Amino acid sequence: MVLGMLAGCGQSATPDSAPAAPAADTASEPASSEAEAPAAEESSAADSGEDVTITFMASQDWIQDAEMELGEKFTEETGIKVDYQIVPSDQYESLLMTKINAGECTDIFGGQSSQFSIVTQFDVEKNAVDLSGESWAGNVDPAAADELSVGGKLYGQPIQDVSACWAVAYNISLFDELGLSIPTSYAEFCDVCEQIKAAGVIPIYECVSDGWHHVCWTEAAIAATQADASYPDALNNNTATFEGNEQLTTMFAQLKELADLGYMGDNYMSNAYADAPASIASGEYAMVLYNQGLGAEVNAADPSFPEDNIGYFVNPLCDNQALNVNYCGPSRFIFSGSKNIDAAKKYLEFMASDESLAYMTENVGKFNQLPFSNAPSAYSKVVQDFYDRYPNKVAVFQASVKYYNPAWMDIGADMSAMFLGEMTPDEVLKDIDKLRAEQAAAASDPAWE
Amino acid sequence: MKRGCLAAVRQPHLIKGLIKMNKNRIYPGYFAFGALIIYFVFFFLPGLIGVGYSFTDWSAYSDELHYVGFRNFLTVFSADENYMKIITNTLEFTLITTILKNVIGLILALLLTNSIRLLNMHRGIVFMPSVLSTLIIGMIFKSILDPKSGLLNSFFRSIGLDMLAQKWLVSSELAFGSVMAVDIWRGVGYIMTILIAGIMSISSDYYEAAAIDGAGGWKKFWYITFPLILPTLATTTVLNVIYGLKVFDMVYALTNGGPGKATTEVLYTAVFKKFGTGQYAVGTALSSVMFVIMIVIGMYMIRVMTKNEVVE
Repeated sequence: MVLGMLAGCGQSATPDSAPAAPAADTASEPASSEAEAPAAEESSAADSGEDVTITFMASQDWIQDAEMELGEKFTEETGIKVDYQIVPSDQYESLLMTKINAGECTDIFGGQSSQFSIVTQFDVEKNAVDLSGESWAGNVDPAAADELSVGGKLYGQPIQDVSACWAVAYNISLFDELGLSIPTSYAEFCDVCEQIKAAGVIPIYECVSDGWHHVCWTEAAIAATQADASYPDALNNNTATFEGNEQLTTMFAQLKELADLGYMGDNYMSNAYADAPASIASGEYAMVLYNQGLGAEVNAADPSFPEDNIGYFVNPLCDNQALNVNYCGPSRFIFSGSKNIDAAKKYLEFMASDESLAYMTENVGKFNQLPFSNAPSAYSKVVQDFYDRYPNKVAVFQASVKYYNPAWMDIGADMSAMFLGEMTPDEVLKDIDKLRAEQAAAASDPAWE
Repeated sequence: MKRGCLAAVRQPHLIKGLIKMNKNRIYPGYFAFGALIIYFVFFFLPGLIGVGYSFTDWSAYSDELHYVGFRNFLTVFSADENYMKIITNTLEFTLITTILKNVIGLILALLLTNSIRLLNMHRGIVFMPSVLSTLIIGMIFKSILDPKSGLLNSFFRSIGLDMLAQKWLVSSELAFGSVMAVDIWRGVGYIMTILIAGIMSISSDYYEAAAIDGAGGWKKFWYITFPLILPTLATTTVLNVIYGLKVFDMVYALTNGGPGKATTEVLYTAVFKKFGTGQYAVGTALSSVMFVIMIVIGMYMIRVMTKNEVVE
């Protein structure tokens, strides 16, 4: 009954009906006449008498309008219908895991890649189909493939551009107008926020209600890795804890301070991630932690706002000046219990074709370089400048620390409690250790025995 | 049978005979076997197995089961965890929504059993939220209660009452109250409808006699309506208590247990999350604790409700 009710949360769009409402962070523009959706190369399932509908469940931010447009093309070419089930992001993880654990998952499910969590959380060797033999498998970027592989077998297909990272996106013209320059430390960042606030603009757009976005600020935890390169390994071997780490304590304390100083405005607890581009376009907010596609999305929200008027600098908590890299990202997995594995494989093959990758890159603002060797590159100057400015690259905890990614939403709840004054930064860190220990115990991790 | 009854009415000694005959009739036990078997297999046995699993390390990460004694129950009652807050939240939700739904439902029922214009339309409007999907109501109210652009705060601001514009669902002080208020709004029409049926079943003779004796509206309510509607109120109380202890969808749609760690978390959202993270054993332990609480409350309610029943 519960699952039945939850199904109501998802949006469903079949090719026979109007497409579902745009996904939350979609930056799709109208389909360009220059970028026609590609034709499927497979033999038509309709010709062969197939009447198949594959179901694909994902978090609301993971399926773009462009993908649904390609899905319609896929149906035209193969006769296989695609039922997209888009679930609010704050509810997705619980629903996905419940469906997987109940053995009743959709044919294709979206999940975050990570060489650790695809084993501990999804148990892909049991719950997902081995995709190593697929024609497109060899095209997946090796770094991205590592995060989707277990024992040399590839289990997933990347959905998004994993070259993008969570950085502070800012309104360039506002910075110029106020004579501000890119901050290189937390103190400078606070100065910038203070001057923006004094000018009557809310410095930072934050959206805690989504449950996950504010956790992206913790990618500044790479400061702890920079202070001690062996720290992630020590965490994985259970010889170190989050609690008591100086950099991490500082990181949470500074984030709380930004909220307390009013730099996030009054509504950061209820703001929605989907409204970030419009909020920046309106001039009400100056900055937001975002990936490198905000310019296009702001331009889509307000065509008078130039796409290249959005610049980026790294998350400055803990005085961080390194680029936080993460080859993990939302990915497509085929559920091993699916009755439509062949049809699902055809869909993945279609999405990995040259034409589909070009279509996605051209029509989704934040996709600059999808992690396939046959995908085109579309970095703008402002994005390229950003990457060039930070030569030092460090892998984020989501990719380098075991049991961190599966606890993401719980960490989000703890941080929400911290913003409300119910928990201290130390208590949040202590709880992360506890959450990781619970996952490790459930997974019978020998390091925790 | 009809002829027999008429004959009995004419001759009182026959009535006594009929009552005696029915009192002595005891149906054979095997009449209940079918119902008992279905109840045992589909209700009792799964519950028993669930309680059994709460003494194991059952999880999504391993196919093996090991007996772990009371470890999961110690986790549930541990001071380091917030499960006690979750259980308290559930009981608080049940208590407050049960009382308010009954009180408001009774007031509405009294108002809407009077002769007023467009009576059925008024009843229909109050009842309507009860037939809407809880998830849809949750999503609509999430929008209405948005602190920045929600309908409620916009209304307050438009009439100059800015101080009443609050962070309804994202403030730790107001979130749980807001969730309960929305749930009361949704459920009060259903309770009202049951109470209207109860009020309308009261004979008008009582009210006419009371009016002749000079009784006013309050005395009519207190000495006639209220005592005669008590069995109906007991029914609505049972319905509200069962619903409150099992509430899930309204909390899930409005706050998903937040803001913060467990501001509005109730038992079934917590169990759902535990199953979502593959920690089945802790989830079943939590369910088992609630099962015991429900049995205690249920037995108490049955005892109170059957206290005044006539026993022959």
